[in-house]
Amino acid sequence: MSETLLDVQNLTMKFGGLIAIDDLSFSAKKDHITSIIGPNGAGKTTVFNCLTGFYKATAGSMYLNKNNNKMDLKKFSDFKVAQKAGVARTFQNIRLFPQMSVLENMMVAQHNKLMTASGFSILGLINSKSYLQKEKEAMEISKYWLDIIGLTNRADDNAGDLPYGDQRKLEIVRAMCIEPHLLCLDEPAAGLNAKESAELNKLLKFIKNDKKTGILLIEHDMSVVMGISDHVVVLNYGKKIFEGTASETKNSPEVIEAYLGTED
Amino acid sequence: MGKDLIQKSLKDSLFTGIIALALFGPIVGLRTVAKNEVLVVEPKWFVVLLIVIFCAVGRFFINIYSYKKEKRRGEPSSFGKAISNFLDEKGAQIAIAAIAFSIIFPFMPFADRYWMDIAIMMMTYIMLGWGLNIVIGLAGLLDLGYVAFYAVGAYSYALFAIHFGWSFWICLPIAGLFAGMFGILLGFPVLRLRGDYLAIVTLAFGEMIRILLLNWYELTKGPDGLTGIPRPSFFGLPFKRYPDEGVETFHTFFGLEYDPMQRIVFLYYLILVLALITNAFTIKIRRLPVGRAWEALREDEIACKSLGVNPRNTKLTAFAIGAMFGGFAGSFFATRQAFISPESFTFIESAIIVAIVVLGGMGSQTGVVLSTIFLIGLIEVFRDFESYRMVAFGGAMVLIMIFRPRGILAKRKPTITMGKHG
Repeated sequence: MSETLLDVQNLTMKFGGLIAIDDLSFSAKKDHITSIIGPNGAGKTTVFNCLTGFYKATAGSMYLNKNNNKMDLKKFSDFKVAQKAGVARTFQNIRLFPQMSVLENMMVAQHNKLMTASGFSILGLINSKSYLQKEKEAMEISKYWLDIIGLTNRADDNAGDLPYGDQRKLEIVRAMCIEPHLLCLDEPAAGLNAKESAELNKLLKFIKNDKKTGILLIEHDMSVVMGISDHVVVLNYGKKIFEGTASETKNSPEVIEAYLGTED
Repeated sequence: MGKDLIQKSLKDSLFTGIIALALFGPIVGLRTVAKNEVLVVEPKWFVVLLIVIFCAVGRFFINIYSYKKEKRRGEPSSFGKAISNFLDEKGAQIAIAAIAFSIIFPFMPFADRYWMDIAIMMMTYIMLGWGLNIVIGLAGLLDLGYVAFYAVGAYSYALFAIHFGWSFWICLPIAGLFAGMFGILLGFPVLRLRGDYLAIVTLAFGEMIRILLLNWYELTKGPDGLTGIPRPSFFGLPFKRYPDEGVETFHTFFGLEYDPMQRIVFLYYLILVLALITNAFTIKIRRLPVGRAWEALREDEIACKSLGVNPRNTKLTAFAIGAMFGGFAGSFFATRQAFISPESFTFIESAIIVAIVVLGGMGSQTGVVLSTIFLIGLIEVFRDFESYRMVAFGGAMVLIMIFRPRGILAKRKPTITMGKHG
């Protein structure tokens, strides 16, 4: 049994009178892919936004186990979640830097590391050797990931010019460049064809197994969810209605009811 | 298809004619004339008719023209593309040639006082454009109050030089520092704003600084302005015909005849060096992490946050560095004019600098030079037709926006490339 990476307890998020997440508790393990599924409007993305500091949760607690160091995610606001806690995320509608090259996208993801190396630009301005060395290392890391998704030969093209499927993969490996402990993916398979979905599964398994990074996944594509999830959390109207393995979820009457409705 | 197009264009130009009539009818058509000490309205319908016909016909041809372009909408026109490609290929050589030309310019036979003054003015605008390019072009923060930093630089230089008698080379960094501090001061309240809202607040900031300068009489002498700002000296050698007792001047030290042009040429080289420093700095910092973060922030702020980029610090550095170069340019302006007043720092100055950056192509350093030559040159050509200067200026902007909607040089070069070994 592997250790718990993320522990969410009694998370509640209210927008005025609307309760988007209602007393949600779940946990994610270190070398697991944990999927959050549910019908549209169930509050899945809101969970992500709370976790990654884009929203401030109304109540509840979220702890990340970073190298046996318990970090309270509620203490971090937006960019600090990625910077300090090492929680990376992607977005439902791809958010690359479209006018910048693929390689630049990867370099921006390594910003904090490079910023320190460049002595807050002072060492960088005078071309210090230590900075150039760090920049080269960052390029090697970028190249490593681009090789994995097969985009190295397009590294100097604008990210916005890539085909849709490649943009999805680029966003994922860009998030990996911050060397996260937890990777939150918001519908990575949306709009992908069967072949691209299969490639995505392979990439996610690689990240889980070889990079030992926990993955939290929101997904509608059941072939992806069932194929790679170790654990599934089902939400409906902001409440957790089921939690279990992929096959348990598939056969759960509550889940079927939430998706298809009941027979009267 | 063709017939349909002509029909549509005719309809459209008819509308244009109606709008032109509604606009120019009252503005041009009705003129009040004093007759026997009474104001009488004198209609000028023929002039209105000419204008309306001109607008309608012009609109018709623009329609036909843009239809031909429709298939390649958003793409730069082929002529502009050719220029852009040419500049790409020969970029380094052209830059060297341009710098070489700027260096030998004062020794050209035609470079008299008039030409030198224009060259100095253009260089100042180029430097301001390069400074503002950091804020608008790279960081994507539309700053309509850039002239405020120019003013802060000019006034802090003037005040330090007048009251403490410090030399230009001491006051210059101080002025830059002050302007940079004001950049941060402006940056803080506008961190959460973007787009139109940011533009309005920065515009207001520019006006606030001007009004402050106008009303803080004890410090700035208000509308009277500051006079007697020390001229810069050539490393301690002043440019004076009749120096004070025992003081060596530039011309006596080098054993030359006194010539007022010496000072002008020195000022020219001063602004050239300052501008080139701005340029080199911008080119360099764009390739550093902070420069890439500026551009990433322009592209997508939320994605930046998700990658742990601190948007606050990143924006503030852009504001501060942009403002600092504005301050440097301001202190040059003060020392060159020897007199400054709030009159020199009106909104129109900000607008011209923004126009230079936007028309040049956001983020393009060469584009700033080209649009400065074009716009400031145009204003100079129209110097004798004072009231038509702004019309020409506006017309030039419209033309650039029609033919090069993304600026003269819209192509962006990556800050880092994988190169061939990838």
